[in-house]
Amino acid sequence: MKIWIIAATAAALFAGPALAADEWGIEYEEKARFDATVVDILCELSGDCPENCGGGKRQLGLLKDDGTLILPAKNQDIFAGAANDLLPFCGRKITADGLLIKDPKATLFVLQFKRLAPDGEWSRATWFVRDWAEQRGLDRKSQEAKNWFRGDEQVKALIEADGVYGIPGLKPEE
Amino acid sequence: MKVIRAAALGAAALVFCATGAARGATPERVTVTGEIIDTWCYVTEIMYAEGTAHHQCAVWCAVGGIPVSVLGEDGNVYVVLRVEGDATSVNNPKLLTIQSHSVTVDGDLYQRDGVNYLIVSQVADDNGVVNLTHEDYGIQPFGN
Repeated sequence: MKIWIIAATAAALFAGPALAADEWGIEYEEKARFDATVVDILCELSGDCPENCGGGKRQLGLLKDDGTLILPAKNQDIFAGAANDLLPFCGRKITADGLLIKDPKATLFVLQFKRLAPDGEWSRATWFVRDWAEQRGLDRKSQEAKNWFRGDEQVKALIEADGVYGIPGLKPEE
Repeated sequence: MKVIRAAALGAAALVFCATGAARGATPERVTVTGEIIDTWCYVTEIMYAEGTAHHQCAVWCAVGGIPVSVLGEDGNVYVVLRVEGDATSVNNPKLLTIQSHSVTVDGDLYQRDGVNYLIVSQVADDNGVVNLTHEDYGIQPFGN
């Protein structure tokens, strides 16, 4: 069980360098490449529409020409979403390449590559770590950047306050 | 000339109205009781993604901008887009502090293309972390 978990986690959280979607072995996944406009989901649903799609503080969606709204929940960085990869394209049409997961619990999209449609330059969806490292003056390929989730100041403060289990004072056995 | 300008204005108004109609569908008012979860790990079942076992990972993912949801007692996943007047849904400070908590929330529900989106107007009840899954699953991922 543990081996499966580690293998699946590694497959899902670290993706290969190919320019087309890599399968991650997730149930209901299918490779998908489509054109869509980058939208602020809250704006799209409720009409609450600040400038610049909320400036990186809101979940961004992919709105296809047929009206289908896709929720990108993940990019290719470990433990990171796709907002950093999509924000520069706010209001513009991109070609998105990744995995569409039509799970009955929720339909999610893994953004693996993106480009300005129809023929912009492809880039990997790894801009969360790029931006995280840049903000701290680190090399994006450094170990600190790759393990951002252990060194992040917010994470450390939260885990110090509430513990790894989320219950203050409750600690794992040594 | 006047006719052309009037026609152009009319067309622009039509486009504006059509755009306005596409945005702002009528939501359903709901009360949801459940656990604040990391949407990605829970939906994909990459690991056991509930309660204490997954709390640390849920914090990592929420800080990383992965959508946070309420896993309702009805089994449905409700992706949170707004909390108590704060429209932050990427790395929301409030959601970070109640990650893995059992809560009851009031809000507006929008259902769109396989996703339940929730605009939370109030976290009416917060019982903290009560789902002690670490007793069976340890810490997910990576273990102790």
